[in-house]
Amino acid sequence: MPEPDRDLNRKAIAQALADLADTDRLTLVEVAADGVVTFLLHRDDNGRPHGRSWSATWPDLAGERGWDARTREAVLRTARASSSSADVILVAASSADPRAEQALAWLRAAHPAAQVLRTEAPIAALIREVIADDPLTRSYELVVVLADSAAGRPRLTSRQLFPLGSRPGARTRVALRCEAAGAHGTAFAVVTWQGPKPRLLSVQSAPVAPGRYEVTAELVRPGRVRFTGLPALSPDPRDWDQLVAALPDRPAGGAGPTHLVCAVEVCGADDQVAERLSRARQMISSASGGLGDLLRVSLLAYAAHSYDLSAPEFPVRVAAWETGAGEALNALGALEEQGAVARGYPYHPHAAQLEDMLAVVVERLGRADPTPAVILTVGGRPPHPARTDQSRILPCPHRHDWRKLITALGQRQSTVLGAICDQPADQAHQAWHRIGAAALAHLEAVDVRGLAADLGLVAPSPVHFPFPLLDETE
Amino acid sequence: MQPDPSRERPDHNIAMWGAPGSGKTTLLAALFIALTKRDDDWKIIGSDPASSDYLIEKTNALLRGKLFPEASMALERYHWTLIGPAVRKPGFWGRKAKPGPPARIGIGMIDAPGGLFGTGRRPAGGPSAPDGSGDPRRQELLDNLEQSRGIVFLYDPIREFTFGDAFDHMHAPLTRLAERMLAAGEFADGKLPHHIAVCVTKFDDPRVLETAERRRLLSVDIDDPYRLPRVTSEDARELFHELCQVSASGNADMVLKSLDQFFHPDRIRFFATSSIGFYVDRRTKRFDWDDFQNMVPGEADEDSRIRGRLHPINVVEPMLWLGQRLAAIRPATGVS
Repeated sequence: MPEPDRDLNRKAIAQALADLADTDRLTLVEVAADGVVTFLLHRDDNGRPHGRSWSATWPDLAGERGWDARTREAVLRTARASSSSADVILVAASSADPRAEQALAWLRAAHPAAQVLRTEAPIAALIREVIADDPLTRSYELVVVLADSAAGRPRLTSRQLFPLGSRPGARTRVALRCEAAGAHGTAFAVVTWQGPKPRLLSVQSAPVAPGRYEVTAELVRPGRVRFTGLPALSPDPRDWDQLVAALPDRPAGGAGPTHLVCAVEVCGADDQVAERLSRARQMISSASGGLGDLLRVSLLAYAAHSYDLSAPEFPVRVAAWETGAGEALNALGALEEQGAVARGYPYHPHAAQLEDMLAVVVERLGRADPTPAVILTVGGRPPHPARTDQSRILPCPHRHDWRKLITALGQRQSTVLGAICDQPADQAHQAWHRIGAAALAHLEAVDVRGLAADLGLVAPSPVHFPFPLLDETE
Repeated sequence: MQPDPSRERPDHNIAMWGAPGSGKTTLLAALFIALTKRDDDWKIIGSDPASSDYLIEKTNALLRGKLFPEASMALERYHWTLIGPAVRKPGFWGRKAKPGPPARIGIGMIDAPGGLFGTGRRPAGGPSAPDGSGDPRRQELLDNLEQSRGIVFLYDPIREFTFGDAFDHMHAPLTRLAERMLAAGEFADGKLPHHIAVCVTKFDDPRVLETAERRRLLSVDIDDPYRLPRVTSEDARELFHELCQVSASGNADMVLKSLDQFFHPDRIRFFATSSIGFYVDRRTKRFDWDDFQNMVPGEADEDSRIRGRLHPINVVEPMLWLGQRLAAIRPATGVS
């Protein structure tokens, strides 16, 4: 059954609470049958209302001496209200007790502008209801990580969950991506903004498996947000500074869209060719794991030059160009099935068509394309010189100059040269040190993940993200 | 009935001499090919079945299989006769000239394992000894050198750059030869009586060619359709001297000094030779400074191979020069 006074009182208190500024206090003094109860309401840094109360019975106020002037002082002291009557609400309970009437009179005299509410029941429950139902005075936002490819490092931002004025019971859905988060798990931190700095409202965490999540956030009450669609969350012991400090300074994968060009020497001993192709496969897979759909892959195969017109050579083959990793791996599989090509005379035994491969890459990459490129060469033989020199390696039949071609690649924006060589670095032909200028690894001892990290294809070590990432596919 | 010229005693003998791996066998095979390509009537014929077989085998290997002849691993002795065109004897009192017997130059090669006279620094299949005494194989080489009045001495600058053992292989036999000639009273002018054609081999190697180019020693025969670079005999000594500077042991200049000590200046001539010559593209038919190597290295277990057609350089010339000079000293049938 509706209680008209109660509803009016509720509206009055709610309005007073809504008008309460951050630095103000709202005092409700209830004069009940057994004494005076004071409620002091305020908002915290997040705009969330808090209340506390204290009370004094008539005997406490009057003592053994009976009602006198000192009792009035005691009543006003219990109210602890400021001189500003605008923030004071007096609540008078229905009572025939003359002490209550006297106390109310003293309080009204002290706060003549104070609103006076009449109530049949204690006001505490109503105040709790009003606080719990208080609409948000600030937007609640979830802290997320944004993998900013331009900046090259992750940065924090927030995604709004509940706008200003939202009330408990409001729900919102958000798509998130979680990465490995370390020992504390992924933190779901809700903040409000007051000026340029966020204020942490709540933080709960749980070990969440990396992946995409459709999360529902529900505003339970001011200051309390419940997340569903995730493993059970528990309070996170870290403060804001600790959480921010846990943010890595580099992305989990590559910085952004990357074009991996894998060129594999497919001449020589069968097992060695198989090993080179296997390393290329590992590199493509590793880069794909770090970059996902941001990775484009090209695959080239090259062999040895023939120096006999009657024995046509195996030309540089572009097995895949700017495809997804899966398609490139399929093309690699075809090369693995084909195995080594062009053994023995008239194929040159000590050099390969590296320079021809570089010419194809330079021509295809183009200088205008701004996509960062990683050129990974896997082989062992040096390139042919452009003309006869003291190396005694026969010159390239097409007169390609590997030095000029590498210089051209070096001048291309965001182009990194890496190599996996059959020989260790101290025994590799000097050309391999330029072909693998950014990273040169030995075929038999290559740390594929480390090499991928050196080339910027994956993070150097596991990266822990304390917060979820905003799903960029949304 | 004309006698078989190859069975007749040669007018003069030439001994081939050089360190193991210096290219004696390849030079012989290339000599056959180079003579075949010439327009004159010079030819080389084995003096015995074994020598003929050897020549046929090595020439075929060079021509068809394009395999480099392997360095010999056992002592082998071969004799061939270089037979020239018949020399017309002038007629007396207006009579018509009559064709004389052809010029004949005997060529002997003691194809011996390395280390025969070397210090054993890099033996190539046989035991080495500190000097040339005692071993019958050394005696045979010395006999060959003593009986010849012409020597083709092969100096491999690439080998010298790598091993630096040319002087080791030259010093002992030269000293022994001088000893024999002195005992035989043939050291009249304080020099050996021999003529020596010093062949600087591997002229086709980029390092050798570039050395010659750097010293501005190259020239081109205007009649050569391929425009192959050459070094004239007048300049070949300077090339030899220059190449001695990069000897691995630093002893190569002693080779030059020993030649000057033991041979009369008029009896020494230098040649920049190449048995395989430079690569010439079949389409352009011209020497290309950007692409002239005529040898493709083999896999680890294979010999090197010849890339294109053979264009021997200064392979015939040392033989003919020796023949001419020997004929001039002791004319027999003459050499044209």
